[in-house]
Amino acid sequence: MVLRDWLGLRHELPRRRRLLLMVMSFVLPLALWALVSYVPWLWHPLVHITNAGSVDYLAPGMDVDGAVFARETAAAQKAGLALPEGYRVNPLYLPPPHKVARAFVTAFTTPPRLPNEPWLHQSLGHSIRTILWGFAISSLFGVPLGILCGTYRFFAKLQEPFIEFFRYLPAPAFGALCVAILGIDDPPKIAIIVIGTFFQQVLVIANTVRKVDPALIEAAQTLGGKGWQLVWRVVIPASITDIYTDMRILLGWAWTYLIVAEVVGTMSGITFFINQQARYRNFDNVYAAIGMIGIIGLTSDILLAWLGTGLFPWKRRVRSGKKIPVVEAIPIAPAVDPAVSAAKTVTGNAKS
Amino acid sequence: MSYTPLKLPDYHEQSPDVADRFRRIRERPVVLKVSDLRKTFGTEEGLQVAFENVSLDIHRREFLCIIGPSGCGKSTLIRIVAGLDHASGGEILVDGHPVSGPGQDRGMVFQGYTLFPWRTVKENVMFGLEMGGKDVDHADSEARQWLEMVGLGKVENSYPHELSGGMKQRVAIARALANEPRILLMDEPFGALDALTRCKMQSYLLQIWKKVNVTILFITHDLDEACYLADRIVVMGANPGRIVEVIENPVPRPRTVAQLLSPEFLTLKHRLDELIHGPVDAEEEKLPVIKLTEAGDEVE
Repeated sequence: MVLRDWLGLRHELPRRRRLLLMVMSFVLPLALWALVSYVPWLWHPLVHITNAGSVDYLAPGMDVDGAVFARETAAAQKAGLALPEGYRVNPLYLPPPHKVARAFVTAFTTPPRLPNEPWLHQSLGHSIRTILWGFAISSLFGVPLGILCGTYRFFAKLQEPFIEFFRYLPAPAFGALCVAILGIDDPPKIAIIVIGTFFQQVLVIANTVRKVDPALIEAAQTLGGKGWQLVWRVVIPASITDIYTDMRILLGWAWTYLIVAEVVGTMSGITFFINQQARYRNFDNVYAAIGMIGIIGLTSDILLAWLGTGLFPWKRRVRSGKKIPVVEAIPIAPAVDPAVSAAKTVTGNAKS
Repeated sequence: MSYTPLKLPDYHEQSPDVADRFRRIRERPVVLKVSDLRKTFGTEEGLQVAFENVSLDIHRREFLCIIGPSGCGKSTLIRIVAGLDHASGGEILVDGHPVSGPGQDRGMVFQGYTLFPWRTVKENVMFGLEMGGKDVDHADSEARQWLEMVGLGKVENSYPHELSGGMKQRVAIARALANEPRILLMDEPFGALDALTRCKMQSYLLQIWKKVNVTILFITHDLDEACYLADRIVVMGANPGRIVEVIENPVPRPRTVAQLLSPEFLTLKHRLDELIHGPVDAEEEKLPVIKLTEAGDEVE
């Protein structure tokens, strides 16, 4: 049953198959792209002119629509004039994979056209700085407020209805306001990211904190925990791993606000680079830059996930190598420390 | 009926040893006094009584079981004693002081394990000590001793998810005892365990109770468990929740598994069964007769 091995309902796949599928998830779209780019009879709607022949408005190096080229060729043939020559190509905005791959390197090594324009690495650095500032400021307020809302009904009822309303207001709508208030440089961009992230953050984290098992809090209460101790020592550690996961997802959302934020005021960062390159019609660079955002996002997420397993050892699965001693069979009596039993047992009350 | 029922003694009969034990227990001071406790809660149909007229005296070092059908309010009762819930009337005194909320004088072991997953086994046991303001070194060595006592010294640095259910519950017991509570409240603590583990845990609990100066209030719906563990058994009834009878357990101590077939044990279990399940109406329990078997294939 080969099919059932691969497609069994909720059936766990062996590690090698999982890896294979993970690689395929990238390879398949790439293969489709390569197919459209390199197989000449697939799509290729334009004709790249190599010789204008008798058609006066054509020139070598020009791309014309396939139908126009066919019509002109037919017309020239009828009139017995020199035929135009050319080969079929895809439009400029769909560069083939190898060009984009090359652009991943050349985009970094090519100096900017104007002396005051940033290099690509500077643009990327600018973008990452903007994101980190926005996310840090949002988290500085959003995480504590989320925890408060998740822990105390008082704060939840006082804050959440307004936040619920505010999060429906699209962050880009505040662009003009932010520029008016904060100027045209980085502050309004950071503000857009904060507006886009903060309100979601409060609600998501409040929900996560609300999911803490109330039995854990009750257990802590019977052990003598009170007030703030319960928040610090129980509620936060009980939800910290889920908050961490939330933060990873929210960081992804922050990236989606980045592009909007960067067109506010003076265009900057990776958006500036992409726009510039599109204007020069270097679409391979445009794709490379977009790809870099994806790579940075994915890499940072993988790094954070890996960091998480280090930070939260109790979330690690039991490693197969680590053996937990089986102690079900150990009788209790001989294990007792005489000091303990002497201290705890008052002779007069010893059991008969 | 084609079998001869066993001739069992009256469950009130106590051997001189057992009678003497109960006399000694009664002479000890009362640790937990519950008087006239009452709990109601509002529903759509108006005020519903969870239980009422519940009065109990638990003496020092006594092991008291509360048993009853579901809905008799036994869990609500123990939660109120723990301070996790509020009574609608009546009073609870621990060593003469009224209870107004959770406190370290009452330790609690829940049915769910409720260990803190982010803390190692030892750190779990240290929790109450830290709350009590003990410094970490002190708490550390004390926690280690308590873990030794429940036989889990070897896993002190494991995380709860690495332990079996029985081990987790032993950690929970050690954690509750580390605060040296006056009374240990146990709310169906072995209810989630499989039968074999439960049996072991009951024997562990008796051994621990012997060594530690603590009084135990134990909730269960398992007749064997109550007969095996308790000094006195409080039987509760439902609708509304109330105390039906308080029975002094005639099974002598120290208890062993062999006693599960002793006349005292069986007569006590029989009485509890009567009180909790009542007379069984054989007609009512019959399912409608629909035959799906072949002729000659029947079972009796």
